[in-house]
Amino acid sequence: MMSSLFSRFPARTTLPVILSGAGHLSTGAVEGSAVAFPNSLLRLPALSFIGIALALVATTTQLPAQQPQVIALTGGKLLTVSHGTIEDGVLVMADGKIVAVGESGKVKIPSSAKVVDAKGMTIYPGLIDPESNFGLTEISADQMTNDLVERSDEIMPHMHVYDAFHSETELIPVARLNGITNAVVAPASEDTIPGQDIFIQMYGKDRDQMIMGRDIALAMNYGSEQRRRGSGGRGGGGSGRPDYPSTRMGLITQLRQTFLDVQDYEAHRDAAAKKDDKTFKRDLKMEALIPYLQGERPVVIGVYEGYDVETIMALAQEFHLKVILNHVTHTQEILDKIASYHVPVIVGSIYDFPRADQRFDAVYTLPAELAKRGVKIAISSADAGGPVSSHSARNLPYAAGFAVAYGLPYDEALKAITLNVAEMFGFADRLGSLDVGKMANVVVANGDPLDVRTDVKQVYIQGVPVPMEDRQTRLRDEYSK
Amino acid sequence: MYIFNPLSPGRRVALCLAVAGIHSIAATTAAQQASSIPADLVIRNATVMTASHGTIEHGSVWVHAGKIAGVGASVNAPSSATVVDGTGMWLTPGIIDPHSHSALDSDVNEATSPVTPSMHMIDAFDNRSADLYRALAGGVTTELLLHGSANMIGGQAVVIKNKFGLDRDAMLFPNAPGSIKFASGENPKRVYGGRDQLPSTRMGNFEVMRTSFEDAKHYMAEWDAYNTKVAKGDKDTVPPKRDLKLEALADVLRGKLYVQIHCYRADEFLTEEAIAREYGYKVRAFHHALEMYKVADKIAADQTAIATFADWWGYKDEARDAIPWNAVISMRKGVKVALKSDSDDHIRRLNQEAGKMVRYGGATEDEAIRMVTLNPAWIIGVDDRTGSIDVGKDADLVLWNHDPLSTFARAQKVYIDGDLFFDASLPGLGTTHFSGVMHDGGGFGSDDEIEEDGQ
Repeated sequence: MMSSLFSRFPARTTLPVILSGAGHLSTGAVEGSAVAFPNSLLRLPALSFIGIALALVATTTQLPAQQPQVIALTGGKLLTVSHGTIEDGVLVMADGKIVAVGESGKVKIPSSAKVVDAKGMTIYPGLIDPESNFGLTEISADQMTNDLVERSDEIMPHMHVYDAFHSETELIPVARLNGITNAVVAPASEDTIPGQDIFIQMYGKDRDQMIMGRDIALAMNYGSEQRRRGSGGRGGGGSGRPDYPSTRMGLITQLRQTFLDVQDYEAHRDAAAKKDDKTFKRDLKMEALIPYLQGERPVVIGVYEGYDVETIMALAQEFHLKVILNHVTHTQEILDKIASYHVPVIVGSIYDFPRADQRFDAVYTLPAELAKRGVKIAISSADAGGPVSSHSARNLPYAAGFAVAYGLPYDEALKAITLNVAEMFGFADRLGSLDVGKMANVVVANGDPLDVRTDVKQVYIQGVPVPMEDRQTRLRDEYSK
Repeated sequence: MYIFNPLSPGRRVALCLAVAGIHSIAATTAAQQASSIPADLVIRNATVMTASHGTIEHGSVWVHAGKIAGVGASVNAPSSATVVDGTGMWLTPGIIDPHSHSALDSDVNEATSPVTPSMHMIDAFDNRSADLYRALAGGVTTELLLHGSANMIGGQAVVIKNKFGLDRDAMLFPNAPGSIKFASGENPKRVYGGRDQLPSTRMGNFEVMRTSFEDAKHYMAEWDAYNTKVAKGDKDTVPPKRDLKLEALADVLRGKLYVQIHCYRADEFLTEEAIAREYGYKVRAFHHALEMYKVADKIAADQTAIATFADWWGYKDEARDAIPWNAVISMRKGVKVALKSDSDDHIRRLNQEAGKMVRYGGATEDEAIRMVTLNPAWIIGVDDRTGSIDVGKDADLVLWNHDPLSTFARAQKVYIDGDLFFDASLPGLGTTHFSGVMHDGGGFGSDDEIEEDGQ
């Protein structure tokens, strides 16, 4: 049997880091002064080896080094996402929010602002990864660092990612350095219903500062992977004999029965409440599903094959679920039908393999083909092969860029990793575009954000310039002396 | 023996003990079975990234009889030449992957013993695998198909030209030197340690290797003694029994096989080099080599190259200290650096992995493109034949619609030995020589994808 343990699939460790100190771009800048961006990361000041050692034993992390200030980025090219590109623009941040966006000369810069010269830079909203496992994994092959999915049962809606989320994970600063400022964190996909997602801010003093939303969506999966065929599925450890549900028929029947059970439970619960019956026993699994059966929050359905999409969508419609489709890798034949569902779709991985008889770009072109049909799309950072490994999440913009190479209009691609994700998960009032009033999650880079050659120079989260360092930059600096 | 290239038996490859090879493959020049190759081809007015001598804006390349006959601002091709207009396009050497497990149906580890040098990758090579097609569409023209890393000494690799659609033998890189895959670190100790066998530690790993070379030395000595007796006219002496495993190891000690070592940690590079010195062979390249930046100056002195990832990290403990600046830091310290896929996924966009090196450490465009062309060619030992756009080399070329170091490039046309094997403008698959049914590969084609129970 194939084990995914040693593939580059999800995992988690305990290597804390300090994020203040050397290399902090905006330190020492005085009011109204311009701060230059470093030309080459290799020239950043290095921490001494002792510094690294201290960093490794200290237990702080993701710590905002300072309170948000008034910062004006001037002269940069602004990719607003919501209202086009401003070639020579100004963006002002104050109190953690964007307070002004516009053309140079037309935006009043407060006298209290620290002015950062961003001439030659491209400025865009922080990127949002619609499916990650940040904080649920550290070293993929080290099972002790993995809290990805509870496999003992298939229906586990009462598993809450916030209970496992390890905010000090090193994966977060690594991704953050490439402009990822927010993410949906979901459990892995071995169960039909593995649990509920969180929405995170990629910077903060502790878990509570970083989790922006708990139980924001229900993770759900349907297809061959969730069958209990005795092989143990991904991760191994199976019994060797099949357990129910071992077929797609079993999966669907089990889901349908579960949803009916929830409706029955809800009726009994409500009846008990009316009678003020104190003996009614709460069932956490049932409780967990109620908001989703009431269509209050989205259900993210991971599904790969076209015929599986049709099956699971029929069930979803039967119970009026608010669906976000995920993956849809092998659905080239039913794209019009997918569009007819009028649900948003997360495409990921764009690098998943087509079938052996398909043209090499059958999956590369999916975002373009869906967008062309009016589907709202998001693009995730997943590597090929299904479950995401958020070690590679820093490459999220390149997946979007690859979609552009294969026909997706550029603006749609940028939306697919910013505003569209925010809209799908209910954060568009705060995130996803450079608009006044939104949270100041802003990225400054020396070029096209979707190009592999582009270097991110500064990330702001809630208006705070994030130290542009992580464990990897510290190793780099130590050994390039 | 164990030559995959009987076309030219006199070459340097792996001739052992003068015994007839059992692996000789009937050499048809069937390579040239479907011949659509124009006698002369000119790709004109492209941005030509030569990999050896910089970029020529508005350059032209002349291909004659499958070889590059001219490159420059203009070329002296005959007027009869077929002309491809490269206006607005980029031309690079074919992409070369020095570490692939494609098209092997996951038959990459004979994980029943930690030392299996007589396993030949060619015996598992499935030339109809969709992996090859998808790589071709990503501009890959040459691959070193390596064993996995379950074993300390896995076996002998095969070098292919990605002439997808031709028969198996026609896809072999003619007269390519032989390579043998070694491994180290976590994978062997996990596979065998998991069965309470040797090796279960790095101590065990390396001692297994040393013991194997002692066996090989003894075997060579027995043959030397026999040959001496024969030379002295002893007609009655019985030759030692031929042992495929020991013959292969003897070839390592004789320097007849390029040693390609799966190795992650800084300390292990040093140990591997020390063992190589002790037994008198050279390490051609460390593969993965994620901690090379820590000891690059020392390894540069050994003239060992690396084939590394652009930015993978954290998937296992020995990948914990991986940094995306590894390639450029190591290069600046004098190590020859190639990027490789170790993945049926990433092999399709190695050009982008090279592009990342511009960002992570400031590689020049020339340096970056070299990491996926000329440098991997050197690791495989075919840099005199392919890997750059130079007169006399095989016409392995890729025409791109965009700067290949960007995210946005698609391979438009892929030529191998001057023959067009992929053309994105064609309907259907875009292949020119393929017909029939492709095979799906197994898994994702990575070293770390090891069957947990060792089958």
